[in-house]
Amino acid sequence: MNDYTFGIKVLDNAVDGLTKGKNIMLIGPSMSGKEIILYNMMYYGATTNENGIIMVTTREPATHILDWFKEHNLNLPMSRIGIIDCITKTLGSNDVENDNIKITNSPVDLTGIGVKISQFLDEFYMKKNIRKNQLHINSLSTLLMYSNIQTVFRFLHVFTGRIKGAGALGIFVLESGMHDDKDINTLKQLFDGIIEIKSENDRNFIRVIGLSQKPTPWFHYEIEGSNIKMGE
Amino acid sequence: MLETGIPKIDEFLGGGIPDGKSLVYYIQPGVEGEVFGLQTVYTSLKSAKTVVYVASSTCPDNIKGQFAQFGWDIDIFKDRFFLVDAYNSLIRAPSKEKYVVSNPENIEDLSKIIIDAMKELPPSTIVFGSLSTILDLCGEKETIEAIRNWNKYAILHDHTMIYNFTVWPYSQETLDSIKKELFNAVIAVGGIADRVIFGQYYWILRSDWIKESRKSMLKSDWTKESRKSMLFRVSRPGGITLFIPKILITGAFFAGKSTFLHALSTQSVSVDRIGTTIAIERCHVEYKGFSADLFGTSGQERFTPIIKLLSGESMGVFLILDSSNPQDFIHAKEILQITKSYGLPYIVIANKQDLQEALTPEEIRKHLGLGKDIPVIPAVAKDKIGIFEAFEILIDKITGGI
Ligand SMILES: Nc1nc2c(ncn2[C@@H]2O[C@H](COP(=O)(O)OP(=O)(O)OP(=O)(O)O)[C@@H](O)[C@H]2O)c(=O)[nH]1
Ligand SMILES: [Mg+2]
Repeated sequence: MNDYTFGIKVLDNAVDGLTKGKNIMLIGPSMSGKEIILYNMMYYGATTNENGIIMVTTREPATHILDWFKEHNLNLPMSRIGIIDCITKTLGSNDVENDNIKITNSPVDLTGIGVKISQFLDEFYMKKNIRKNQLHINSLSTLLMYSNIQTVFRFLHVFTGRIKGAGALGIFVLESGMHDDKDINTLKQLFDGIIEIKSENDRNFIRVIGLSQKPTPWFHYEIEGSNIKMGE
Repeated sequence: MLETGIPKIDEFLGGGIPDGKSLVYYIQPGVEGEVFGLQTVYTSLKSAKTVVYVASSTCPDNIKGQFAQFGWDIDIFKDRFFLVDAYNSLIRAPSKEKYVVSNPENIEDLSKIIIDAMKELPPSTIVFGSLSTILDLCGEKETIEAIRNWNKYAILHDHTMIYNFTVWPYSQETLDSIKKELFNAVIAVGGIADRVIFGQYYWILRSDWIKESRKSMLKSDWTKESRKSMLFRVSRPGGITLFIPKILITGAFFAGKSTFLHALSTQSVSVDRIGTTIAIERCHVEYKGFSADLFGTSGQERFTPIIKLLSGESMGVFLILDSSNPQDFIHAKEILQITKSYGLPYIVIANKQDLQEALTPEEIRKHLGLGKDIPVIPAVAKDKIGIFEAFEILIDKITGGI
């Protein structure tokens, strides 16, 4: 059993291993299937690797995410799943909190998001004795719509530090083509590696930078339902 | 005088916060701290005060919802509870509040509304839901100037000012101003963190009126209470409640665990049983205003099930060694490994220092391969030497967050 994996074989083989305490940026254009890739990491993390998964969502309500897994017949072990929903209240929906879902006030409320992340980490690590945990934030782009770059940087500075300290894995999603290069470079300082996605002529490619001697080659992939089908 | 309504804080502050004074809750990120401001709002309302709450990181309706979660009915106080809406304009939503900031990213806009309220309203409790959000939106320097101004108005109009502040990594200059200079009192709200935050505490860092009130306080043991920190939990409903940490005493067979526990105990020691085989000695300690429940086991082989049982609740571990018996250190090493894997703060007690063959703490550190950050405390448990020092050092380790 590995500590952490991407859940995409060729990528896992192409890097030197995802060791404990890494923070990784997942960056790519819209409509490239980033979310599916993230959900796959969530699924393989929770099932194959038996990790705790903490997902901060600013784009889709928690219930939608859970529905997606159900629709694709992917059985999540719910005792290791925690979703922090930053969007429901903004949409005026009346979803309520439960064992798996915590709802924050708004995407502006980084303090509140931070509290809920810590609570899930504490619950998994101390109470449930789950020693390997993944924090996924989807997405930094939304946080950057509500707060300026320094504010988001400070927030990430604290939480990438906690990830390192807890031997966890952090995946932070960023939409490419939406932000200044300067801002992206500022954020990059906080990460150990980057999962990069690009679309060319309707074809999607993925590679990983910073987790092996050289960047991995670009791998072609297609999304089929909930699957990521790797091309040649 | 304004009571915060938070257990022990009013007592520590000599009754509460005097009119015209300001207090900041200096909150470590990840710790549930905003409830401090909310609980003070509710306490104030109940004691017939007028209250202003500045909502910066979420809309006023959500704030009202938070009170409801704690079981605090604020609707009955609506004619003297005012929300300054410094949020809705950010997301271009309309506001129903009387005080609305049209551009929350502009400190002058925000300041004008706050000062208007301060001038119009009778002496009030003014609570800032998230000072850090104001710093984030308006800039650090600008906000600090504004705070100085608000606090000045507070003195003029007899308002009491309360700020929730999350300690994100702002510039050192900003953090220093907030911690040392801008406010009359600072209460740190921190987490007991090793790998993850697993307990929360607050700690009176300073208050400039307490010297006077201390003189007037007849309570003679006040001066003995140098440590003014408490562990707390947040319950819904209920708000902030105090809780007593559990501390584990462990170590090899015959190392002096029972002697150590008896020596620290302020009350009688009782024995609990888990199932039929495992006996746990337990007792309560009160020392310098800090209290804890101690749990001691017999021998070392039973350690794993017990730490498993208590790990969600325990806050720290004493590892007791017989300094004269290095053969046993191998067991100690195993126990240390387990303790570490649970992420609990721990210190090592080099007991039986009175014996001729006893190794020094430094020799023991080498034997166990301990880093400089792990305290190794010399002690003679049977003569109560070193044990309270050890207790204090472990408590410092537990609450050393900020
Ligand atoms: N010389 C000396 N003897 C001590 C000291 N502390 C404890 N002892 C003695 O060491 C023996 C064991 O002490 P206990 O406190 O029963 O040890 P324990 O770790 O609880 O032992 P078990 O529960 O049987 O594992 C007793 O005879 C104590 O009197 C000390 O500081 N110096
Ligand atoms: Mg004993």
